[in-house]
Amino acid sequence: MKRPLLVIALLLIAAAVSATGIPGDADGNGILDEHEYRAAALTYLVGEGDLTRTDIQDAAWVLTHWDGRPLEITDSTGQTLTLTRPLRRVVTFSGEALETLRSLGFDMDKIVAVDKYSHEKTTFFPECAEKANVGSWLSPDMERILTLKPDAVFLYATITTATCDEIQQKLEAGIPGIRVLRFDCFKPATYPDEIRTIAAATGCEDRGDEFVAFYTSVMDRIRTETAGIPDDEKTRVYFEYWTDYKTFAAGSGYNEKLGIAGGYNPFGGESAEYPEIDPEAVIVSNPEVIVKLTGQQLAAGGYVGRDIAALEATRSAIIKRPGWTRLAGVDDDRVHVIHSDILGGAQHFIGTAYLAKWFYPDRFTDLDPNAIHQRYLTEFQGLDFNLAAEGAFVYP
Amino acid sequence: MMRPSANRLFYLALLLMILPAVAYGAPVTRSLSTAEPGAGEVFTVSLSVGDMPLGGVVETLPGGYTFAGTEHPDDRTLIQGQMIAFTVADEAVITYSVKAPASGSGDIVGVWEDFAAEAHGKIVPSHVAVDGVEVPEAGGSPPTDVQAASPLPLLTAIAGLFLAAHHRGGRR
Repeated sequence: MKRPLLVIALLLIAAAVSATGIPGDADGNGILDEHEYRAAALTYLVGEGDLTRTDIQDAAWVLTHWDGRPLEITDSTGQTLTLTRPLRRVVTFSGEALETLRSLGFDMDKIVAVDKYSHEKTTFFPECAEKANVGSWLSPDMERILTLKPDAVFLYATITTATCDEIQQKLEAGIPGIRVLRFDCFKPATYPDEIRTIAAATGCEDRGDEFVAFYTSVMDRIRTETAGIPDDEKTRVYFEYWTDYKTFAAGSGYNEKLGIAGGYNPFGGESAEYPEIDPEAVIVSNPEVIVKLTGQQLAAGGYVGRDIAALEATRSAIIKRPGWTRLAGVDDDRVHVIHSDILGGAQHFIGTAYLAKWFYPDRFTDLDPNAIHQRYLTEFQGLDFNLAAEGAFVYP
Repeated sequence: MMRPSANRLFYLALLLMILPAVAYGAPVTRSLSTAEPGAGEVFTVSLSVGDMPLGGVVETLPGGYTFAGTEHPDDRTLIQGQMIAFTVADEAVITYSVKAPASGSGDIVGVWEDFAAEAHGKIVPSHVAVDGVEVPEAGGSPPTDVQAASPLPLLTAIAGLFLAAHHRGGRR
Protein backbone atom coordinates (compact mmCIF):
# COMPACT_ATOMS: atom_id res chain seq x y z
CA MET A 1 0.00 0.00 0.00
CA LYS A 2 1.20 3.43 -0.86
CA ARG A 3 2.27 5.79 1.86
CA PRO A 4 0.82 3.98 4.89
CA LEU A 5 2.16 6.63 7.22
CA LEU A 6 0.28 9.29 5.29
CA VAL A 7 -2.94 7.34 5.69
CA ILE A 8 -2.49 7.08 9.44
CA ALA A 9 -1.57 10.75 9.70
CA LEU A 10 -4.63 11.83 7.72
CA LEU A 11 -6.94 9.72 9.82
CA LEU A 12 -5.50 11.16 13.01
CA ILE A 13 -5.85 14.70 11.69
CA ALA A 14 -9.41 14.15 10.54
CA ALA A 15 -10.36 12.71 13.91
CA ALA A 16 -9.56 15.99 15.60
CA VAL A 17 -12.38 18.17 14.35
CA SER A 18 -13.84 21.12 16.07
CA ALA A 19 -17.60 20.85 16.35
CA THR A 20 -18.22 24.58 16.33
CA GLY A 21 -15.37 25.93 14.26
CA ILE A 22 -14.56 25.56 10.61
CA PRO A 23 -14.96 21.90 9.65
CA GLY A 24 -11.61 20.30 8.95
CA ASP A 25 -9.67 22.72 11.13
CA ALA A 26 -7.73 19.85 12.64
CA ASP A 27 -5.30 21.80 14.79
CA GLY A 28 -8.13 23.91 16.21
CA ASN A 29 -6.34 27.20 15.58
CA GLY A 30 -9.48 28.64 14.01
CA ILE A 31 -8.01 28.68 10.51
CA LEU A 32 -8.46 26.05 7.84
CA ASP A 33 -5.36 25.79 5.73
CA GLU A 34 -5.13 23.92 2.45
CA HIS A 35 -3.29 21.02 4.01
CA GLU A 36 -6.05 20.53 6.57
CA TYR A 37 -8.71 20.81 3.89
CA ARG A 38 -7.02 18.22 1.68
CA ALA A 39 -6.59 15.84 4.60
CA ALA A 40 -10.23 16.22 5.56
CA ALA A 41 -11.41 15.80 1.97
CA LEU A 42 -9.30 12.69 1.35
CA THR A 43 -10.42 11.11 4.58
CA TYR A 44 -14.03 11.76 3.68
CA LEU A 45 -13.56 10.44 0.15
CA VAL A 46 -12.35 7.05 1.39
CA GLY A 47 -15.21 6.85 3.87
CA GLU A 48 -13.22 7.45 7.02
CA GLY A 49 -13.50 10.10 9.71
CA ASP A 50 -16.52 11.86 11.09
CA LEU A 51 -16.95 14.65 8.58
CA THR A 52 -20.01 14.57 6.36
CA ARG A 53 -20.32 15.68 2.76
CA THR A 54 -21.84 18.94 3.99
CA ASP A 55 -18.89 19.45 6.33
CA ILE A 56 -16.43 19.11 3.45
CA GLN A 57 -18.56 21.35 1.24
CA ASP A 58 -18.58 23.93 4.03
CA ALA A 59 -14.81 23.60 4.40
CA ALA A 60 -14.35 24.12 0.67
CA TRP A 61 -16.69 27.10 0.82
CA VAL A 62 -14.81 28.74 3.70
CA LEU A 63 -11.51 28.12 1.94
CA THR A 64 -12.83 29.63 -1.29
CA HIS A 65 -14.71 32.63 0.04
CA TRP A 66 -13.05 33.48 3.36
CA ASP A 67 -9.55 32.22 2.72
CA GLY A 68 -10.05 29.54 5.35
CA ARG A 69 -10.67 32.02 8.13
CA PRO A 70 -13.76 32.78 10.18
CA LEU A 71 -15.61 35.87 8.99
CA GLU A 72 -16.38 38.47 11.59
CA ILE A 73 -19.23 40.76 10.65
CA THR A 74 -21.01 43.58 12.43
CA ASP A 75 -24.68 43.96 11.68
CA SER A 76 -26.77 47.11 11.88
CA THR A 77 -27.51 46.66 15.58
CA GLY A 78 -23.79 46.73 16.25
CA GLN A 79 -23.59 43.10 17.27
CA THR A 80 -20.59 41.18 16.02
CA LEU A 81 -20.97 37.68 14.70
CA THR A 82 -18.25 35.23 13.84
CA LEU A 83 -19.22 32.99 10.95
CA THR A 84 -17.41 29.70 10.48
CA ARG A 85 -19.73 28.13 7.92
CA PRO A 86 -21.82 29.36 5.00
CA LEU A 87 -25.51 30.10 5.40
CA ARG A 88 -27.45 27.05 4.25
CA ARG A 89 -30.90 27.23 5.81
CA VAL A 90 -32.05 30.80 5.96
CA VAL A 91 -35.25 32.33 7.31
CA THR A 92 -36.01 35.97 6.50
CA PHE A 93 -38.35 38.10 8.55
CA SER A 94 -37.53 41.10 6.41
CA GLY A 95 -38.65 41.44 2.81
CA GLU A 96 -35.88 43.99 2.33
CA ALA A 97 -33.21 41.52 3.40
CA LEU A 98 -34.81 38.87 1.20
CA GLU A 99 -34.74 41.22 -1.77
CA THR A 100 -31.15 42.18 -1.05
CA LEU A 101 -30.14 38.52 -0.93
CA ARG A 102 -31.69 38.08 -4.36
CA SER A 103 -29.88 41.18 -5.65
CA LEU A 104 -26.65 39.53 -4.53
CA GLY A 105 -27.40 36.33 -6.41
CA PHE A 106 -27.72 34.28 -3.23
CA ASP A 107 -29.07 30.81 -3.93
CA MET A 108 -32.77 31.28 -3.13
CA ASP A 109 -33.15 27.53 -2.61
CA LYS A 110 -31.25 28.06 0.63
CA ILE A 111 -34.05 30.26 1.93
CA VAL A 112 -36.31 27.83 3.73
CA ALA A 113 -38.93 30.26 5.01
CA VAL A 114 -39.99 33.86 4.65
CA ASP A 115 -42.19 36.37 6.47
CA LYS A 116 -45.89 36.47 5.67
CA TYR A 117 -45.68 39.71 3.69
CA SER A 118 -43.01 38.40 1.35
CA HIS A 119 -44.97 35.18 1.07
CA GLU A 120 -47.98 37.16 -0.15
CA LYS A 121 -45.97 39.04 -2.78
CA THR A 122 -46.21 36.29 -5.33
CA THR A 123 -45.51 38.59 -8.27
CA PHE A 124 -42.31 39.97 -6.81
CA PHE A 125 -41.16 36.88 -4.93
CA PRO A 126 -42.58 34.06 -7.07
CA GLU A 127 -39.97 31.60 -5.80
CA CYS A 128 -41.18 32.14 -2.23
CA ALA A 129 -44.79 31.12 -2.78
CA GLU A 130 -44.00 27.49 -1.92
CA LYS A 131 -41.66 28.26 0.95
CA ALA A 132 -42.73 28.05 4.58
CA ASN A 133 -44.49 31.10 5.97
CA VAL A 134 -43.25 31.98 9.46
CA GLY A 135 -45.58 34.90 10.06
CA SER A 136 -44.49 38.47 10.54
CA TRP A 137 -41.81 39.74 12.86
CA LEU A 138 -44.62 41.23 14.92
CA SER A 139 -46.28 37.84 15.30
CA PRO A 140 -43.75 35.15 14.47
CA ASP A 141 -44.59 31.49 14.31
CA MET A 142 -41.72 30.39 16.56
CA GLU A 143 -42.77 26.76 16.62
CA ARG A 144 -42.64 26.61 12.82
CA ILE A 145 -39.23 28.25 12.75
CA LEU A 146 -37.79 25.79 15.26
CA THR A 147 -39.02 22.81 13.26
CA LEU A 148 -37.35 24.21 10.13
CA LYS A 149 -33.97 24.17 11.88
CA PRO A 150 -32.56 27.25 10.18
CA ASP A 151 -28.91 28.11 10.59
CA ALA A 152 -29.46 31.83 9.96
CA VAL A 153 -32.33 34.25 10.45
CA PHE A 154 -32.56 37.79 9.08
CA LEU A 155 -34.38 40.33 11.24
CA TYR A 156 -34.80 44.09 11.23
CA ALA A 157 -32.21 46.15 13.09
CA THR A 158 -33.79 49.44 14.04
CA ILE A 159 -37.54 49.08 13.73
CA THR A 160 -39.67 47.42 16.39
CA THR A 161 -36.39 46.81 18.14
CA ALA A 162 -37.81 45.30 21.32
CA THR A 163 -39.87 42.77 19.36
CA CYS A 164 -36.91 41.79 17.20
CA ASP A 165 -34.69 41.52 20.30
CA GLU A 166 -37.20 39.12 21.80
CA ILE A 167 -37.32 36.99 18.64
CA GLN A 168 -33.53 36.88 18.57
CA GLN A 169 -33.37 35.73 22.20
CA LYS A 170 -35.89 32.96 21.56
CA LEU A 171 -34.06 31.80 18.46
CA GLU A 172 -30.70 31.72 20.18
CA ALA A 173 -32.18 29.82 23.10
CA GLY A 174 -33.98 27.32 20.88
CA ILE A 175 -31.40 26.67 18.17
CA PRO A 176 -27.82 26.53 19.42
CA GLY A 177 -25.36 28.03 16.98
CA ILE A 178 -27.98 29.91 14.97
CA ARG A 179 -26.81 33.14 13.37
CA VAL A 180 -29.28 36.00 13.79
CA LEU A 181 -28.38 38.80 11.39
CA ARG A 182 -30.10 42.13 11.72
CA PHE A 183 -30.22 44.63 8.90
CA ASP A 184 -32.73 47.26 7.78
CA CYS A 185 -31.95 47.44 4.05
CA PHE A 186 -34.21 50.44 3.56
CA LYS A 187 -32.12 53.36 4.83
CA PRO A 188 -29.87 55.18 2.39
CA ALA A 189 -27.31 55.96 5.10
CA THR A 190 -26.68 52.32 5.94
CA TYR A 191 -27.76 50.35 2.88
CA PRO A 192 -24.43 50.27 0.97
CA ASP A 193 -22.60 48.94 4.04
CA GLU A 194 -25.39 46.47 4.66
CA ILE A 195 -25.13 45.20 1.09
CA ARG A 196 -21.38 44.69 1.49
CA THR A 197 -21.76 42.93 4.83
CA ILE A 198 -24.49 40.59 3.60
CA ALA A 199 -22.44 39.95 0.46
CA ALA A 200 -19.44 38.98 2.55
CA ALA A 201 -21.54 36.73 4.79
CA THR A 202 -22.97 34.94 1.78
CA GLY A 203 -19.84 34.78 -0.35
CA CYS A 204 -21.36 37.10 -2.95
CA GLU A 205 -18.70 39.81 -2.75
CA ASP A 206 -18.31 40.39 -6.49
CA ARG A 207 -22.01 40.72 -7.02
CA GLY A 208 -22.18 42.92 -3.93
CA ASP A 209 -19.62 45.29 -5.44
CA GLU A 210 -21.64 45.46 -8.67
CA PHE A 211 -24.85 46.16 -6.83
CA VAL A 212 -23.31 48.80 -4.55
CA ALA A 213 -21.82 50.49 -7.62
CA PHE A 214 -25.22 50.56 -9.30
CA TYR A 215 -26.99 51.77 -6.17
CA THR A 216 -24.47 54.49 -5.36
CA SER A 217 -24.32 55.68 -8.97
CA VAL A 218 -27.98 56.63 -8.62
CA MET A 219 -27.87 58.00 -5.10
CA ASP A 220 -24.60 59.89 -5.55
CA ARG A 221 -25.89 61.48 -8.74
CA ILE A 222 -28.84 62.82 -6.78
CA ARG A 223 -26.83 63.82 -3.72
CA THR A 224 -24.22 65.65 -5.80
CA GLU A 225 -26.89 67.66 -7.59
CA THR A 226 -28.92 68.59 -4.53
CA ALA A 227 -26.03 69.17 -2.12
CA GLY A 228 -25.36 72.66 -3.43
CA ILE A 229 -28.93 73.91 -3.18
CA PRO A 230 -29.27 76.44 -0.36
CA ASP A 231 -31.91 75.54 2.22
CA ASP A 232 -34.03 78.57 1.36
CA GLU A 233 -34.10 77.51 -2.29
CA LYS A 234 -35.08 73.91 -1.69
CA THR A 235 -38.40 72.72 -2.99
CA ARG A 236 -41.02 72.76 -0.23
CA VAL A 237 -42.75 69.37 -0.14
CA TYR A 238 -45.72 67.96 1.67
CA PHE A 239 -45.32 64.20 1.66
CA GLU A 240 -48.31 62.31 2.91
CA TYR A 241 -48.09 58.79 4.20
CA TRP A 242 -50.72 56.11 3.49
CA THR A 243 -53.01 57.65 6.12
CA ASP A 244 -54.51 61.05 5.37
CA TYR A 245 -52.61 63.94 6.94
CA LYS A 246 -49.97 61.65 8.36
CA THR A 247 -46.49 62.65 7.32
CA PHE A 248 -42.98 61.95 8.54
CA ALA A 249 -40.28 63.89 10.34
CA ALA A 250 -36.57 63.67 11.06
CA GLY A 251 -35.41 60.18 11.97
CA SER A 252 -37.66 58.36 9.55
CA GLY A 253 -36.33 56.66 6.45
CA TYR A 254 -38.75 58.57 4.25
CA ASN A 255 -37.49 61.92 5.53
CA GLU A 256 -33.94 60.87 4.75
CA LYS A 257 -34.91 60.07 1.16
CA LEU A 258 -36.81 63.33 0.78
CA GLY A 259 -33.75 65.19 2.04
CA ILE A 260 -31.43 63.44 -0.41
CA ALA A 261 -33.76 64.39 -3.24
CA GLY A 262 -33.38 68.00 -2.12
CA GLY A 263 -36.84 68.46 -0.67
CA TYR A 264 -37.63 70.66 2.28
CA ASN A 265 -40.06 69.07 4.71
CA PRO A 266 -41.92 71.81 6.62
CA PHE A 267 -42.90 69.19 9.21
CA GLY A 268 -39.45 67.68 9.59
CA GLY A 269 -39.08 69.12 13.06
CA GLU A 270 -42.10 67.37 14.56
CA SER A 271 -41.28 65.26 17.60
CA ALA A 272 -42.88 62.07 16.31
CA GLU A 273 -41.30 60.23 13.37
CA TYR A 274 -44.72 59.87 11.74
CA PRO A 275 -46.80 62.80 13.04
CA GLU A 276 -50.39 63.59 12.12
CA ILE A 277 -50.67 67.10 10.81
CA ASP A 278 -53.53 69.56 11.21
CA PRO A 279 -55.07 70.04 7.71
CA GLU A 280 -54.87 73.78 8.17
CA ALA A 281 -51.11 73.51 8.80
CA VAL A 282 -50.66 71.86 5.42
CA ILE A 283 -52.46 74.72 3.74
CA VAL A 284 -50.39 77.25 5.65
CA SER A 285 -47.15 75.50 4.58
CA ASN A 286 -48.23 75.93 0.94
CA PRO A 287 -46.11 73.11 -0.49
CA GLU A 288 -44.69 73.48 -3.99
CA VAL A 289 -44.83 69.73 -4.51
CA ILE A 290 -47.26 67.25 -2.97
CA VAL A 291 -46.45 63.56 -2.87
CA LYS A 292 -48.90 60.93 -1.70
CA LEU A 293 -47.75 57.43 -0.77
CA THR A 294 -49.87 54.50 -1.86
CA GLY A 295 -49.59 50.73 -1.67
CA GLN A 296 -50.79 49.88 1.82
CA GLN A 297 -51.53 46.16 2.31
CA LEU A 298 -50.91 45.20 -1.29
CA ALA A 299 -53.51 47.70 -2.47
CA ALA A 300 -53.66 48.94 -6.02
CA GLY A 301 -50.57 49.30 -8.10
CA GLY A 302 -47.02 48.34 -7.37
CA TYR A 303 -46.10 44.88 -8.57
CA VAL A 304 -49.61 43.58 -7.92
CA GLY A 305 -51.13 44.96 -11.09
CA ARG A 306 -51.21 47.74 -13.63
CA ASP A 307 -53.94 49.69 -11.91
CA ILE A 308 -53.00 53.18 -12.98
CA ALA A 309 -56.61 54.32 -12.59
CA ALA A 310 -56.35 53.68 -8.85
CA LEU A 311 -53.30 55.90 -8.57
CA GLU A 312 -55.04 58.54 -10.63
CA ALA A 313 -58.08 58.34 -8.34
CA THR A 314 -55.84 58.81 -5.31
CA ARG A 315 -54.38 61.93 -6.87
CA SER A 316 -57.80 63.33 -7.80
CA ALA A 317 -59.08 62.85 -4.27
CA ILE A 318 -56.17 64.81 -2.83
CA ILE A 319 -56.63 67.72 -5.16
CA LYS A 320 -60.29 67.97 -4.19
CA ARG A 321 -59.56 68.43 -0.49
CA PRO A 322 -61.02 71.63 0.98
CA GLY A 323 -58.75 74.57 0.41
CA TRP A 324 -56.17 72.68 -1.62
CA THR A 325 -56.83 74.45 -4.89
CA ARG A 326 -54.94 77.37 -3.37
CA LEU A 327 -51.79 75.31 -2.82
CA ALA A 328 -48.86 76.07 -5.11
CA GLY A 329 -48.33 72.36 -5.80
CA VAL A 330 -51.94 71.90 -6.96
CA ASP A 331 -51.94 75.12 -8.92
CA ASP A 332 -48.71 74.14 -10.72
CA ASP A 333 -49.92 70.59 -11.30
CA ARG A 334 -47.11 69.14 -9.18
CA VAL A 335 -49.09 66.53 -7.26
CA HIS A 336 -47.69 63.01 -7.52
CA VAL A 337 -48.58 59.57 -6.26
CA ILE A 338 -45.83 57.07 -5.54
CA HIS A 339 -46.11 53.44 -4.54
CA SER A 340 -44.33 52.33 -1.41
CA ASP A 341 -42.81 49.39 -3.30
CA ILE A 342 -40.22 51.75 -4.77
CA LEU A 343 -39.65 54.08 -1.85
CA GLY A 344 -40.16 52.33 1.44
CA GLY A 345 -37.90 49.32 1.14
CA ALA A 346 -34.79 48.15 -0.65
CA GLN A 347 -35.91 49.90 -3.85
CA HIS A 348 -35.87 53.32 -2.20
CA PHE A 349 -33.21 54.53 -4.63
CA ILE A 350 -35.74 54.22 -7.45
CA GLY A 351 -38.34 56.25 -5.57
CA THR A 352 -35.71 58.78 -4.54
CA ALA A 353 -34.85 59.26 -8.21
CA TYR A 354 -38.51 60.01 -8.94
CA LEU A 355 -38.64 62.51 -6.05
CA ALA A 356 -35.50 64.28 -7.29
CA LYS A 357 -36.95 64.48 -10.78
CA TRP A 358 -40.24 65.89 -9.47
CA PHE A 359 -38.55 68.39 -7.15
CA TYR A 360 -35.98 69.62 -9.70
CA PRO A 361 -37.01 68.67 -13.23
CA ASP A 362 -34.47 71.04 -14.78
CA ARG A 363 -31.56 69.64 -12.79
CA PHE A 364 -32.34 66.01 -13.52
CA THR A 365 -33.21 65.99 -17.18
CA ASP A 366 -30.81 63.07 -17.73
CA LEU A 367 -32.12 61.02 -14.81
CA ASP A 368 -34.44 58.22 -15.95
CA PRO A 369 -36.02 56.53 -12.90
CA ASN A 370 -37.99 54.13 -15.07
CA ALA A 371 -34.79 52.91 -16.76
CA ILE A 372 -33.11 52.53 -13.36
CA HIS A 373 -36.10 50.55 -12.15
CA GLN A 374 -36.14 48.27 -15.19
CA ARG A 375 -32.40 47.60 -14.93
CA TYR A 376 -32.76 46.75 -11.26
CA LEU A 377 -35.57 44.28 -11.93
CA THR A 378 -33.88 42.63 -14.89
CA GLU A 379 -30.23 42.68 -13.91
CA PHE A 380 -30.30 42.39 -10.15
CA GLN A 381 -33.63 40.84 -9.30
CA GLY A 382 -33.69 38.49 -12.26
CA LEU A 383 -37.37 39.17 -12.82
CA ASP A 384 -39.10 39.00 -16.17
CA PHE A 385 -41.14 42.10 -15.47
CA ASN A 386 -41.73 44.66 -18.18
CA LEU A 387 -42.45 48.08 -16.71
CA ALA A 388 -43.89 49.24 -20.02
CA ALA A 389 -46.73 46.76 -19.65
CA GLU A 390 -46.83 45.70 -15.99
CA GLY A 391 -47.12 47.34 -12.61
CA ALA A 392 -48.04 50.88 -11.57
CA PHE A 393 -45.63 52.77 -9.38
CA VAL A 394 -46.04 56.50 -9.95
CA TYR A 395 -48.68 58.87 -11.24
CA PRO A 396 -48.22 60.97 -13.17
CA MET B 1 -29.64 3.10 -46.94
CA MET B 2 -30.48 1.03 -43.87
CA ARG B 3 -33.58 -1.14 -43.75
CA PRO B 4 -36.20 -0.12 -41.11
CA SER B 5 -35.37 -2.91 -38.64
CA ALA B 6 -31.64 -2.36 -38.99
CA ASN B 7 -32.28 1.33 -38.57
CA ARG B 8 -34.11 0.70 -35.31
CA LEU B 9 -31.34 -1.54 -34.09
CA PHE B 10 -28.77 1.10 -34.93
CA TYR B 11 -30.61 3.72 -32.89
CA LEU B 12 -31.18 1.28 -30.05
CA ALA B 13 -27.48 0.50 -29.96
CA LEU B 14 -26.70 4.21 -30.10
CA LEU B 15 -29.10 4.81 -27.23
CA LEU B 16 -27.49 2.07 -25.18
CA MET B 17 -24.13 3.69 -25.74
CA ILE B 18 -25.33 7.16 -24.85
CA LEU B 19 -27.62 6.32 -21.93
CA PRO B 20 -24.95 5.38 -19.39
CA ALA B 21 -23.12 8.66 -19.90
CA VAL B 22 -26.36 10.61 -19.61
CA ALA B 23 -27.42 8.66 -16.53
CA TYR B 24 -24.08 9.27 -14.86
CA GLY B 25 -24.07 12.88 -16.11
CA ALA B 26 -20.48 13.12 -15.02
CA PRO B 27 -18.16 16.03 -15.50
CA VAL B 28 -15.47 13.40 -15.00
CA THR B 29 -14.68 10.88 -17.69
CA ARG B 30 -12.13 8.08 -17.68
CA SER B 31 -9.97 6.74 -20.45
CA LEU B 32 -7.52 3.84 -20.38
CA SER B 33 -4.32 3.40 -22.32
CA THR B 34 -5.58 -0.13 -22.87
CA ALA B 35 -8.62 -2.05 -21.73
CA GLU B 36 -6.86 -5.33 -22.44
CA PRO B 37 -3.50 -5.14 -20.70
CA GLY B 38 -1.12 -8.04 -20.76
CA ALA B 39 -0.44 -10.01 -17.60
CA GLY B 40 1.43 -7.80 -15.16
CA GLU B 41 1.39 -4.88 -17.57
CA VAL B 42 1.20 -1.38 -16.18
CA PHE B 43 -1.38 0.73 -17.97
CA THR B 44 -2.49 4.32 -17.60
CA VAL B 45 -5.82 5.63 -16.45
CA SER B 46 -6.64 9.24 -17.27
CA LEU B 47 -9.45 11.11 -15.59
CA SER B 48 -10.64 14.19 -17.43
CA VAL B 49 -12.04 16.56 -14.89
CA GLY B 50 -14.27 19.43 -15.87
CA ASP B 51 -14.36 22.78 -14.18
CA MET B 52 -13.89 21.74 -10.56
CA PRO B 53 -12.00 24.17 -8.32
CA LEU B 54 -12.38 22.05 -5.19
CA GLY B 55 -13.45 18.48 -5.53
CA GLY B 56 -12.44 14.89 -5.35
CA VAL B 57 -12.47 11.61 -7.23
CA VAL B 58 -12.48 8.10 -5.82
CA GLU B 59 -11.56 5.21 -8.08
CA THR B 60 -12.04 1.59 -7.17
CA LEU B 61 -10.00 -1.01 -9.01
CA PRO B 62 -11.15 -4.56 -9.72
CA GLY B 63 -9.73 -7.25 -7.47
CA GLY B 64 -6.17 -8.16 -8.38
CA TYR B 65 -5.44 -4.87 -10.10
CA THR B 66 -3.09 -2.66 -8.09
CA PHE B 67 -2.31 1.01 -8.00
CA ALA B 68 1.14 1.61 -9.50
CA GLY B 69 1.68 5.34 -9.12
CA THR B 70 0.59 8.83 -10.07
CA GLU B 71 2.00 12.22 -10.82
CA HIS B 72 -0.73 13.72 -8.65
CA PRO B 73 0.78 15.27 -5.50
CA ASP B 74 1.29 12.90 -2.59
CA ASP B 75 -0.67 14.95 -0.11
CA ARG B 76 -3.66 14.94 -2.45
CA THR B 77 -3.73 11.22 -3.03
CA LEU B 78 -4.85 8.51 -0.67
CA ILE B 79 -4.84 4.76 -1.24
CA GLN B 80 -7.18 2.61 0.80
CA GLY B 81 -7.30 -1.00 -0.36
CA GLN B 82 -8.64 -0.99 -3.91
CA MET B 83 -9.71 2.64 -3.56
CA ILE B 84 -7.65 5.55 -4.78
CA ALA B 85 -8.80 9.00 -3.70
CA PHE B 86 -7.64 12.22 -5.29
CA THR B 87 -8.50 15.72 -4.29
CA VAL B 88 -9.08 17.98 -7.27
CA ALA B 89 -8.05 21.62 -7.42
CA ASP B 90 -8.66 22.89 -10.93
CA GLU B 91 -6.73 20.10 -12.65
CA ALA B 92 -7.93 19.25 -16.14
CA VAL B 93 -6.57 15.71 -16.02
CA ILE B 94 -5.48 13.29 -13.31
CA THR B 95 -3.43 10.36 -14.45
CA TYR B 96 -2.50 7.24 -12.54
CA SER B 97 -1.03 3.85 -13.33
CA VAL B 98 -2.45 0.45 -12.63
CA LYS B 99 -0.68 -2.87 -12.71
CA ALA B 100 -2.72 -5.69 -14.16
CA PRO B 101 -2.77 -9.06 -12.44
CA ALA B 102 -1.70 -12.27 -14.12
CA SER B 103 -5.31 -12.67 -15.12
CA GLY B 104 -8.65 -11.19 -14.38
CA SER B 105 -11.32 -8.82 -15.55
CA GLY B 106 -13.65 -6.33 -13.97
CA ASP B 107 -14.75 -2.72 -13.92
CA ILE B 108 -12.88 0.30 -12.72
CA VAL B 109 -15.61 2.30 -11.05
CA GLY B 110 -15.46 5.79 -9.68
CA VAL B 111 -17.33 8.62 -8.09
CA TRP B 112 -16.72 12.35 -8.15
CA GLU B 113 -17.51 15.12 -5.73
CA ASP B 114 -17.54 18.79 -6.62
CA PHE B 115 -17.41 20.32 -3.16
CA ALA B 116 -17.59 23.88 -4.44
CA ALA B 117 -20.60 23.31 -6.69
CA GLU B 118 -22.10 20.91 -4.14
CA ALA B 119 -22.64 18.19 -6.70
CA HIS B 120 -21.58 14.59 -6.92
CA GLY B 121 -22.03 11.60 -9.15
CA LYS B 122 -20.61 8.46 -10.66
CA ILE B 123 -18.06 8.00 -13.39
CA VAL B 124 -19.02 5.59 -16.13
CA PRO B 125 -17.34 2.24 -15.34
CA SER B 126 -14.44 1.13 -17.53
CA HIS B 127 -14.07 -2.56 -18.19
CA VAL B 128 -10.64 -4.12 -18.15
CA ALA B 129 -9.65 -7.68 -18.86
CA VAL B 130 -6.15 -9.11 -18.96
CA ASP B 131 -5.47 -10.03 -22.57
CA GLY B 132 -9.14 -9.45 -23.24
CA VAL B 133 -10.05 -12.61 -21.42
CA GLU B 134 -13.11 -12.41 -19.18
CA VAL B 135 -12.74 -13.97 -15.76
CA PRO B 136 -15.61 -13.76 -13.30
CA GLU B 137 -13.36 -13.13 -10.30
CA ALA B 138 -10.06 -11.44 -11.00
CA GLY B 139 -7.13 -12.98 -9.24
CA GLY B 140 -3.45 -13.45 -9.41
CA SER B 141 -3.48 -16.76 -11.21
CA PRO B 142 -1.23 -17.16 -14.23
CA PRO B 143 -2.69 -16.50 -17.70
CA THR B 144 -2.42 -20.16 -18.67
CA ASP B 145 -5.03 -21.08 -16.04
CA VAL B 146 -7.57 -18.73 -17.45
CA GLN B 147 -10.29 -20.13 -19.60
CA ALA B 148 -11.48 -18.00 -22.39
CA ALA B 149 -14.67 -16.21 -21.49
CA SER B 150 -17.70 -17.55 -23.26
CA PRO B 151 -19.01 -15.26 -25.99
CA LEU B 152 -22.47 -16.73 -25.43
CA PRO B 153 -23.87 -13.94 -23.23
CA LEU B 154 -22.82 -11.29 -25.70
CA LEU B 155 -24.21 -13.23 -28.65
CA THR B 156 -27.45 -13.81 -26.74
CA ALA B 157 -27.75 -10.11 -26.01
CA ILE B 158 -27.19 -9.16 -29.64
CA ALA B 159 -29.69 -11.73 -30.78
CA GLY B 160 -32.17 -10.36 -28.25
CA LEU B 161 -31.74 -6.87 -29.62
CA PHE B 162 -32.36 -8.11 -33.16
CA LEU B 163 -35.47 -9.94 -32.07
CA ALA B 164 -36.80 -7.00 -30.12
CA ALA B 165 -36.31 -4.67 -33.05
CA HIS B 166 -37.93 -7.12 -35.46
CA HIS B 167 -40.85 -7.76 -33.13
CA ARG B 168 -41.57 -4.04 -32.65
CA GLY B 169 -41.34 -3.49 -36.35
CA GLY B 170 -43.85 -6.29 -37.04
CA ARG B 171 -46.50 -4.76 -34.85
CA ARG B 172 -46.60 -1.53 -36.75
